[in-house]
Amino acid sequence: MDTSAIIFYAIAAFTLVMGLMAVTSSKIFRSAIWLLLSMVGIAALYFWMQVEFIAAVQIIVYVGGIVVLIIFSIFLTQQAGTKMPGPSLKRIIASALAALFGLTFSFNLINHYGFSSAASQPFSLSVSDIGVQMLSTTEHGYILPFEVVSLLLLSAMVGCIVIALKPPKENVERTVAAPENITVNITEPEEENVNVNIREPLIITEV
Amino acid sequence: MWTDFLILMKQEMAVIAMIFILLFMKLGRDRSNESFMNTMNVLLLLNLILGFVFNHEGILFNEMFRTSRLIAFEKNILNLAMLIISLQSYSWLKTNKHVPEFYILMLSSLLGMFFMISSGNLLMFYLGLEMSTIPLAAAANFDLTKRRSSEGAMKLIFSSAFSSACLLFGISMLYGTTGTLVFSELPHLINNNPLQLFAFILIIAGFAFKISVVPFHLWTADVYEGAPVAVTSFLSVVSKGAVLFAFVSVLYTVFSPLAKVWYNMLFILSLLTIITGNLFAIRQENFKRFLAFSSIAQVGFILVGISRSSDISTTSVIYFVLIYVFSNLAAFGVVSLVTAVTGKENISDYKGFYKTNPGLSWVLTIALFSLAGVPPTAGFFGKFFLLIAGAGKGNYVLISIAAVNIVISLYYYLRVVKAIFMDANPTPLPSIRTPLMPKLAFIVCVAGAVTIGVVSPVYDYIYSLIVLR
Repeated sequence: MDTSAIIFYAIAAFTLVMGLMAVTSSKIFRSAIWLLLSMVGIAALYFWMQVEFIAAVQIIVYVGGIVVLIIFSIFLTQQAGTKMPGPSLKRIIASALAALFGLTFSFNLINHYGFSSAASQPFSLSVSDIGVQMLSTTEHGYILPFEVVSLLLLSAMVGCIVIALKPPKENVERTVAAPENITVNITEPEEENVNVNIREPLIITEV
Repeated sequence: MWTDFLILMKQEMAVIAMIFILLFMKLGRDRSNESFMNTMNVLLLLNLILGFVFNHEGILFNEMFRTSRLIAFEKNILNLAMLIISLQSYSWLKTNKHVPEFYILMLSSLLGMFFMISSGNLLMFYLGLEMSTIPLAAAANFDLTKRRSSEGAMKLIFSSAFSSACLLFGISMLYGTTGTLVFSELPHLINNNPLQLFAFILIIAGFAFKISVVPFHLWTADVYEGAPVAVTSFLSVVSKGAVLFAFVSVLYTVFSPLAKVWYNMLFILSLLTIITGNLFAIRQENFKRFLAFSSIAQVGFILVGISRSSDISTTSVIYFVLIYVFSNLAAFGVVSLVTAVTGKENISDYKGFYKTNPGLSWVLTIALFSLAGVPPTAGFFGKFFLLIAGAGKGNYVLISIAAVNIVISLYYYLRVVKAIFMDANPTPLPSIRTPLMPKLAFIVCVAGAVTIGVVSPVYDYIYSLIVLR
């Protein structure tokens, strides 16, 4: 086993352990922090693969954006310090067995597949190339998914705003009732769409 | 290039244009709900008509988008269903505060379905699928004051996140083993190795969640019950239809090398789905839950048709979805109207419905007959063709069990009809005046549910589109 492989296993073990902690922690705020560390581990994997741009995006979007939003919404809706009741023993055993089965099953499959070693095609890593490819209409261009994603975000934003809006009683009351509104917002989208979470501060500022 | 692009993507462009018209109307001066709804109905009608002209075949963006006359026709079915739903939700939307937002969410979802049906690439396919569910989850929460509505939206988003995860895991393994995401290249690279089989199972699970095939159906009843009726009917007709169209094309093209595997899977899944759907539909009291389980059972019959890969089964599936649009939307339309006016949703509330609302009773009865597959209505022909398509391989066990289940399903559909016509009720629902828009929708639905089965050119037309492809 060479150094590179050792580093890989170390990073992977770190990510997994952090993920496990995020799931099993009984304090919701700690869960969020463990999740954050797990995301950092994934970013480290990208660094290990030498795709720095993706690693940076991973950190900016997931670590900097989504997890921070999750923490925000935890603060706004829950008592961050209180302990949640632990699951029953039956559930722990069942889920541990399920996870173990899934792990061995997919490990077995992947292990026996015999992937050919790293792709012989070198791929271009510069940020400008990625940018051009993302907006290109020619061979291997990704302009269509790019635009579709932007429409998806638009509709998700509309959806979030509608859910967050309480039916206004009086225009005057609206400004006064602002803090209440915020608590109402967050109960819905908090876990609702993790991949759409980026829009939540907009709602908060708009209300 | 430029004109090609506009003509090939015209249906998507039309939907995007509608979304932006709504956004700008919303930003402009205050308008009444009526003006929004009228504008939208006219635009949706134009959109439907536009779908029938200038249909060409073509591929854009390195196969990320492809279209043909068949795909355009499938989108037309969805457009039609969208128009009918829009007309039917008139009574409910009239007093709603967020009419433009409702339409924006529905149209975004529709747009996602269009991209999903047209996709020639797993990446676009996944994006389309996501785009068709995320706005719907927000729309399911549209009854902002009702807890059940939020609960339904929550269940929808969780189960769809789970199914997306399955699907993505499958797609990533498929990509890892083949090195491509393009539909046209995949069939040559797929063989029977275990990893690809596992990937295939996960992808099927993703699909099965969306069309609520039985082991993956648990979200259906709760979401259908909680969501506003317009959203429920959208979920059960448009969303299901779109995923079925995509499912058929992916199964028959990309996974054609695995035909033996998925034949066995579909065999088991369809039996489970039909039987479970039927048994649970019998014991439902809430009308929306009842329709939810009935639609689960219907999907089981569709799977019987899919199980044999041929032009005939594609035709029968599309034909059945078209009929299903008419019959299911008619049933949902009546429920929508009754719920909007009286707030009652239970089957027992419909006792003696005929005494006070003879017109609506007939619409509901024809819809239920069509869903059950009673001969003069279109539903009979739809199921008949599905079973014929499924029987092609000589699997008479499957066909006979499905046929027995059609008889069982008659029991619970007729139970509702009996409640409407025969059961005595001292306090029947009040007489409901049907506004013009829902009336138009009912006329279209009933006409469709009665005539399409008898008019054979429809079936022949779909078949010709598939053979010409």
